Amino acid sequence: MTIDAINANVSRVPFFRFLNFEVRDIGERHAEAEMTFATRHIGNPVTEYYHGGIIASFMEATAAIAVRPDFVKMPAKPINLTVDYLRPGVKGPLHARADITRKGRRIASVSVLAWQSAPDTPVAEGLYHFLLV
Amino acid sequence: MAGMTQAQMNEIAQVWNRRGKGLITDMALRIEEISAEAVQVRMPFNPDFCVDADQTLLHGGVLTALLDSVFGLANFVAIEGVSTMATLDLRVDYLRPAQSRADVIVRAHCYRQTRHIAFNSGSIWFDGHANDEIARGTASFALTRGENSLYSQIMKEPA
Repeated sequence: MTIDAINANVSRVPFFRFLNFEVRDIGERHAEAEMTFATRHIGNPVTEYYHGGIIASFMEATAAIAVRPDFVKMPAKPINLTVDYLRPGVKGPLHARADITRKGRRIASVSVLAWQSAPDTPVAEGLYHFLLV
Repeated sequence: MAGMTQAQMNEIAQVWNRRGKGLITDMALRIEEISAEAVQVRMPFNPDFCVDADQTLLHGGVLTALLDSVFGLANFVAIEGVSTMATLDLRVDYLRPAQSRADVIVRAHCYRQTRHIAFNSGSIWFDGHANDEIARGTASFALTRGENSLYSQIMKEPA
């Protein structure tokens, strides 16, 4: 699956368009994506930081693509998530990298890191479970 | 909880309901109930929040974002003298496919507060289906308290 083909499928998902991101890298066990900041992503109207829910949504989307990059219509089915918010997400691009910790027959566990300037100063870290059946 | 009166909470609800920037504008949230015990918020169906081409299945992330927003509101009215609030962590279980074009109802509360931390829990269902929760979440928030309370900051801003 090429990155262009994945991004073509991404652009067909209404909420992925709302998030406004592109997949940058894909491998057997990982995916990386970059989201472009938009006013609709703001959570705190005074500081104009990203909404925590938008950060978690973008991380979930990146994780779903790592799990099933060849999705055509619907991204992988999420079961649950845990997110730690480490720094505010400021106006500007946001990066996410999803690494598959384990992919069984029924369930996948994915670890996701989100950052802006550098991965060693993360904005958020999350664990996501997906149902593969 | 002493401190905020119901009139002040209603005032907050009015300001919040017409607030004009960011995700909560797109979510078009309406506060239906507000007290120190619980807040309940309604989100109308929005096709942009769906994952499928038919636009009937909401993306899980939308539910996560809803919980995060409504937790913040619940803390705002339940905790006296908060000046800033930041989500520390958030856990969400997706209990059923969020497949409907009905309004989404979120109900949340702050079930424990300390000087520095607030603990929240909340539930989401489609309007008319309160017994079929689609998601449930818990979160903790880091709080700061000071002279410049969030309430006075918000009420100072021109409407």
